[in-house]
Amino acid sequence: MREDLMDIICCPLDKHELDLEVIRRNDEEIMEGRLVCTECGEEYPIEDGIPNLLPPDMREESPA
Amino acid sequence: MTDLAERRDLEQVYQPAEDSRLLAETAAERVGDGDLVLDVGTGSGYVASVAADAGADVVGADINPLACREARENGVPVVQCNLTDPFRDGAFDYVLFNPPYLPTPPEDERDDWMEYALSGGEDGRAVIEPFLDGVERVLAPDGRVLLLLSTLTGLDAVVDDAAQQGLSAEEVGAEKHAFERLVVLSIRR
Repeated sequence: MREDLMDIICCPLDKHELDLEVIRRNDEEIMEGRLVCTECGEEYPIEDGIPNLLPPDMREESPA
Repeated sequence: MTDLAERRDLEQVYQPAEDSRLLAETAAERVGDGDLVLDVGTGSGYVASVAADAGADVVGADINPLACREARENGVPVVQCNLTDPFRDGAFDYVLFNPPYLPTPPEDERDDWMEYALSGGEDGRAVIEPFLDGVERVLAPDGRVLLLLSTLTGLDAVVDDAAQQGLSAEEVGAEKHAFERLVVLSIRR
């Protein structure tokens, strides 16, 4: 995930801003990390360069 | 040679078809340098890539993790999410969506990602309605939605759904096929 995405994303639940916690990055992108809502504290993972901003109750619904 | 695991993944991600091409062409005629564009249900990232080639800054969104991975490999910055949920108010000049629009009887529903990409539920509008409920929030003041639809979905019902959200819709692209007409609606405040 490119860091400039932070300007356009927000918490899917309450639309408040997210804090970025970087675990691993390369020259261009954040590869592993967490996005944490500044209001409700919900955590959203960044894995393999892709932020998962599904609300918690939809993360488990995957058919595949 | 594609290995089996990779092939199985490809079969679970919607690949560009006539509808993707019509939406991509219509978007490419409209978006320009500096426009910020969201491609909802980006799938392989095809429509997003065409819009990016036309000069826009494009972000893809998909609920399917396999689609997210494929779009990213195709160079599209991508977010795994539901519709427009995790994007800021007023962020986008254009929101593009080639939604699941095929009316599908409940007994024909399969529980896999390709079904997610195709099935619009019994009336074809099961995903389009919640999309229209949420999209106005993320549009810039002069922002536009470009929504692909089939006449199988019922265009009038979608135009009515948009009107209920205070949005007006006009047809800006169309293509005739054997059993349906594909249409792109431009939707604005």
